[in-house]
Amino acid sequence: MLRFLAFSIRRAWQGFWRNAVMSLAATITMTLMLLMLAGLVIGLSGMDAGLRFIEQKVEVQAFIADGVPQSRIDALVAQVRALPEVSEVDYLDKQQALAQWQEQLRQQGQPDYSSETGTNPIPASIQVKLKDPHVYGTVIQTLQAAQGVVTDVLETQHVVDALLSVTGFLRTAGVVVLGLVGITVLFIVVNTIRLAVVARSEEIEIMRLVGASDAFIRWPFIFEGVLVGLLGAAVTLGILALAAQPIGQGVATLIGQVPIQFDRNLAEELILVVVGAGLALGGVGAAISVRTYLIR
Amino acid sequence: MTTSTRRIAGALAAATVSHPEPDAVEGTSAVVGGLPEPRRISIALEDVSKVYPNGRRALADVDLAVPDGDFVFLVGPSGAGKTTLIKLLIRDEVATSGTVFVAGRDVSRLSRREVPKLRRRIGIVFQDYRLLPNKSVRENVAFALEVTGTPGRQIRPAVERVLALVGLTAQGDQLPTQLSGGEQQRTAIARALVHEPRVIIADEPTGNLDPLISWEIIQLLLRINELGTTVLMATHNAEVVTALRRRVVALEDGRVVRDEVGGYHREY
Ligand SMILES: Nc1ncnc2c1ncn2[C@@H]1O[C@H](COP(=O)(O)OP(=O)(O)OP(=O)(O)O)[C@@H](O)[C@H]1O
Ligand SMILES: [Mg+2]
Repeated sequence: MLRFLAFSIRRAWQGFWRNAVMSLAATITMTLMLLMLAGLVIGLSGMDAGLRFIEQKVEVQAFIADGVPQSRIDALVAQVRALPEVSEVDYLDKQQALAQWQEQLRQQGQPDYSSETGTNPIPASIQVKLKDPHVYGTVIQTLQAAQGVVTDVLETQHVVDALLSVTGFLRTAGVVVLGLVGITVLFIVVNTIRLAVVARSEEIEIMRLVGASDAFIRWPFIFEGVLVGLLGAAVTLGILALAAQPIGQGVATLIGQVPIQFDRNLAEELILVVVGAGLALGGVGAAISVRTYLIR
Repeated sequence: MTTSTRRIAGALAAATVSHPEPDAVEGTSAVVGGLPEPRRISIALEDVSKVYPNGRRALADVDLAVPDGDFVFLVGPSGAGKTTLIKLLIRDEVATSGTVFVAGRDVSRLSRREVPKLRRRIGIVFQDYRLLPNKSVRENVAFALEVTGTPGRQIRPAVERVLALVGLTAQGDQLPTQLSGGEQQRTAIARALVHEPRVIIADEPTGNLDPLISWEIIQLLLRINELGTTVLMATHNAEVVTALRRRVVALEDGRVVRDEVGGYHREY
């Protein structure tokens, strides 16, 4: 077994260097394909971060009647906070609500007349953030039940549902595209490796004639494919590392407010995807390519 | 060899289908040189026909028995079916009907996994040498053992032994492109010999060589035969066949038309 491994790895190494041009072509193809996959993964994870950000914006808002004693408001806040589907409850009193509104007006560059009326027309409110935007549970009923305290509950459920179906569709589409690109990449890589194998068909023929078992013929090629995959992955990661800074900035300016972070998580994910895909594509591609020579 | 002895050999070979140890086909009475002596059968074909997928019948009802240690020439005009017969022996092609026994194995019944094992019991030599161009003589010969998982410490002495036998010890580190045709063929013969096969099968091994070098190769094959290995050699070389007075099997249009000790008889 050990001898078999040593033989296969040695043959793979020799095969790689003795057909340097072919190996280089295969490695470049592999690198381009892995870059494409990595780009797609980055795009998808950016999209996911954006979608999650949008989904976080989903919240239930209840307006509080003027002049309700603070204790009853506190009781309602506590009651809502105790619900299992709720992640966060904020209470904005009238002053804070007014300040926030004025802030929004100023950002939009509209004139602010509220200070001239001398009264505060903005009601106090409770903002409820949900753990999962799909699950409202009894939040709305609880708020509506507090008669005399709550004047109005902002009904955004159908808007939210529509938004969620759009984000869900985008996610599914992303996975489908990733799958399709993956299959295309496999085809291209298999074809490139097949060229390298065809160039050595005579060698395979000789191996068969002197009584090499299928394993002895197959595994050196698989290891060679894996070597191509690993090299391609290394080059890809190098390019990505160099490009990370400018890409990060580009994305940041493109989608200003949305805080998409190319954090360590994404970096780890990318390394995993690129190395894994390189190994699998190289190995599987080579295995498929030699198969034609073994079945006879 | 008469038709009846051929039948006997074929029947004996066929009997090994149900034999628990097909490697030991003992007790065959092959008549060679008039003296009956018990010998095992290296190669046996019984009623073998081969029709290629395109409908071309390359072999028809071929019976042939080659006892261990024989030296047999396979002759016939171009297209007679010599290469086809050899391909059946090494399981490169499968017979359309009939049975083919090589080194005690029913070749057509071998599973995919067993085919490599069969080929390790046979040494195969071709007209075009089939050497790996980027490996030295030594590496080419060693390759045949490496791919069968032989331990490294057994490979080196075996390689040196066969290189000495074919007289290439001095050229061991040269690449095939740095060798003459005869030396390349001797390398190929060394490779065929290195795993100590019972049978050497050669398809026109001298086809690309000039007469003098051809004689060298034939002498080498004769010496190998004297050391106990069965040799089956397809050839167009009338001069050699006539001079050596060995057993000659002649094919014409896929049929055995002659099987006797003697010369080439006819110019093909
Ligand atoms: N793969 C194949 N498919 C179809 N027909 C084939 C195939 N191989 C050989 N033949 C045919 O079978 C016949 C026997 O061919 P074979 O190669 O066995 O002849 P041969 O005796 O070796 O000839 P030569 O002396 O020229 O080498 C020929 O008519 C040939 O055209
Ligand atoms: Mg031929």
